[in-house]
Amino acid sequence: MFSSIEDVIERFAKNNYIASRRIATVVYLASEMRKPILVEGPAGVGKTDLAKVLAASLGFDMIRLQCYEGLDEGKALYEWEYAKQLLYTQILKDKISEVLVGARSLTEAVDRIAAQDEVFFSERFVLPRPLLKAISSEQPSVLLIDEIDKADAEFEAFLLELLSDFQVTVPELGTIKAKHIPLVVLTSNNAREMSDALKRRCLHLYIDFPDRVQELAIVKLKVPEAAAKLAEEVVTVVQSLRKLDLKKTPGISETLDWVKALTLLNVNSLDQELVTETLDTIVKYEGDVRKAQEELKDYVRRVRARRGTEAGSDKDFLN
Amino acid sequence: MQEKLVEFANLLRENGVRVSLAETLDAFSASKVTGLAERDAFRTALRATMVKRASELPVFEELFDIYFSGLGEIIKQASQAVQNALSMSDQEFQKFLDQVEKMLQKEGKNLSELAKQLLQNKSGEMERKIREAARAVKLNGIERTIEENYFARALARQLGLDKIEAEIKQLREQLEKMDIGAELKAKMEEYLERRLKALDDIIRRYVRMEREKRDIKQKEDQRLNQIGEKSFYYLSEEELKKMNEAVTRLAQRLKNVITVRRKRSKKGRFDIKRTLRQNLEYGGVPFKLRFEKRKKEKPQVVILCDVSDSVRNASRFMLQFVYSLQDLYSRVRSFIFVADIGEVTECFRNNDAKEALDVALKGDIINVYAHSNFGYAFRNFVTDHLGAVNKRTTVIVLGDARNNYNLPHEWCLREIRQRAKKVIWLNPESRNTWGFGDSEMDRYAPHCDLVEECRNLNQLYRVVDRLVAG
Repeated sequence: MFSSIEDVIERFAKNNYIASRRIATVVYLASEMRKPILVEGPAGVGKTDLAKVLAASLGFDMIRLQCYEGLDEGKALYEWEYAKQLLYTQILKDKISEVLVGARSLTEAVDRIAAQDEVFFSERFVLPRPLLKAISSEQPSVLLIDEIDKADAEFEAFLLELLSDFQVTVPELGTIKAKHIPLVVLTSNNAREMSDALKRRCLHLYIDFPDRVQELAIVKLKVPEAAAKLAEEVVTVVQSLRKLDLKKTPGISETLDWVKALTLLNVNSLDQELVTETLDTIVKYEGDVRKAQEELKDYVRRVRARRGTEAGSDKDFLN
Repeated sequence: MQEKLVEFANLLRENGVRVSLAETLDAFSASKVTGLAERDAFRTALRATMVKRASELPVFEELFDIYFSGLGEIIKQASQAVQNALSMSDQEFQKFLDQVEKMLQKEGKNLSELAKQLLQNKSGEMERKIREAARAVKLNGIERTIEENYFARALARQLGLDKIEAEIKQLREQLEKMDIGAELKAKMEEYLERRLKALDDIIRRYVRMEREKRDIKQKEDQRLNQIGEKSFYYLSEEELKKMNEAVTRLAQRLKNVITVRRKRSKKGRFDIKRTLRQNLEYGGVPFKLRFEKRKKEKPQVVILCDVSDSVRNASRFMLQFVYSLQDLYSRVRSFIFVADIGEVTECFRNNDAKEALDVALKGDIINVYAHSNFGYAFRNFVTDHLGAVNKRTTVIVLGDARNNYNLPHEWCLREIRQRAKKVIWLNPESRNTWGFGDSEMDRYAPHCDLVEECRNLNQLYRVVDRLVAG
């Protein structure tokens, strides 16, 4: 576990994640208080990454549950392996007949089979899904429940029991209690409002787009091969793009994609022709692309003007 | 600390942030983990445990600042003001304070505690004293601006301001007799004078801050509610702007509600074919049941908006509302009319809702300065655009039906209704005035499935809600 807030920042940095103090504090609190974190924020600000890095920096396993519409207990918690059970009964037919030898009535036969019940409903035939895995795991783990807003409200209610007691009940096997209470990270894109009950049990963390300095640091960390000047320019443009009214605002991951693409193409300044063609790495809608182009042109014009005046003053100086 | 957190939680609640008891307890244990020394960590601890909605974060930030630093900040500012008035640098001020202290040791034996703290610039202790006094006079019950004076006086009385005043006056008299050089004496005197004023100032500002705490959110809510109930026709320029924001917010809310509703109703009848196929791997034993997915048809909408002067605001928001909900419908087509009728669907597809509205209402598409003629517009719609209407289309007409005594041509509406799934008429006029003067509402109403008054945003919201529900 972490020893202090600084420790969190440091260990996260080692895993290539620049955590603001606010994020680090919440992570530290969660690890101390043993409470789940509910991370909200726009797409592409590193919500999922937070869980991955948390696991990596603690040396824990990460177990991930991706939520989607129609996700149910069978997919999230456990399921009986019907096929395997059927196969076993087929193969063991002879053995079963042996058990039944000498049974005088149907009732007696059924009773004999019933006595063997636990063979077929044992842990051997349980297919553990992420939640059960996280609870029954021998090692401490980080459980990531991704995009919880995509799951149905009923599933959310089911999660509540798990998040408060960290135990699940499988009727045939009994109650399984967590050996190690996993660190739980839930992420949400705000497609719908989470229930108050769920929110009450979690620490809430809202991650917004980073400011210019932070974003630049992230770019430098993740794409070290990018030219410093290019990185700066890209971050400036993306920051101003976020202020526009776009259908989908570019996140950090888009910034990184763009820098990577430009670096691959050997571009080192934004005033080159090629740049407009790579815009679709950061904006994903036709209308947005047009707006982004305008903004980019504007930026290039400003930069050129600045450079022009600088060059002009140089000339004056020479004369 | 516990007490303070509980009070802070109450304050949040008063300002519309839902904080449960469990969350307050969490906040308490979280603040134990982070400790109080580091302000930012403490703030984050409270934010993570008490505020669970991104939209409530600004309220929290504001209240935290006011509550946890408010008084301290005020006191600091006050003493800074004193320092500035004496025009001293930090170092000089510190030295001066040392001299004050020396003087106080000699002369100020019979000063009250608060007076000493005030003169020695001990802000932490002063803060505690003032808070105690505030609790004694129940300052947290303050609600209105006019109560400020009353509470300021009560607080001053509780703190014994009169006594402090007298003591400082006495101190000044003693100062006269002291032998410490004219310059220092003058400075000292000014200092005493200003300090006394500063205390008065602190009390007043503290009281005002307490009142402000209580109505940050209230004001905001009231404003939006008022706008919701206010008739479109009377909106001022300023309110129109705020209205945009309200429309977007309502649209978002509606979208959430509808999406959930659609998801709920997804299971249909038992699907034998798929169940058999799916369970082949279990030897035909039906372990997994399959159900038909019930298809929910998204409604198609055709909107006819009257954009003559009298109802333009209503039309504007109707259009904006419907277009911000576009993905809830499979198809939206919109027409605007005064006398001529013109389609503005393209216009919305290619522009922002806001720009599109401007273009649509500017008069390029139809002459918006003509006199309303519903009959003429309907007849043109039937001859030119009837193809837009089919049995899945809901037709919404938005207008006041003030026809300037032209021919109403209500048969056009009947024709439209025969082809459409539903015809809804929204009238931004009060129901009482329908049918009077040149209003043809009574003639049109029989040919509509639903006629609603739609004077303000809340009514509009309800109508659209019913609409998407199908």
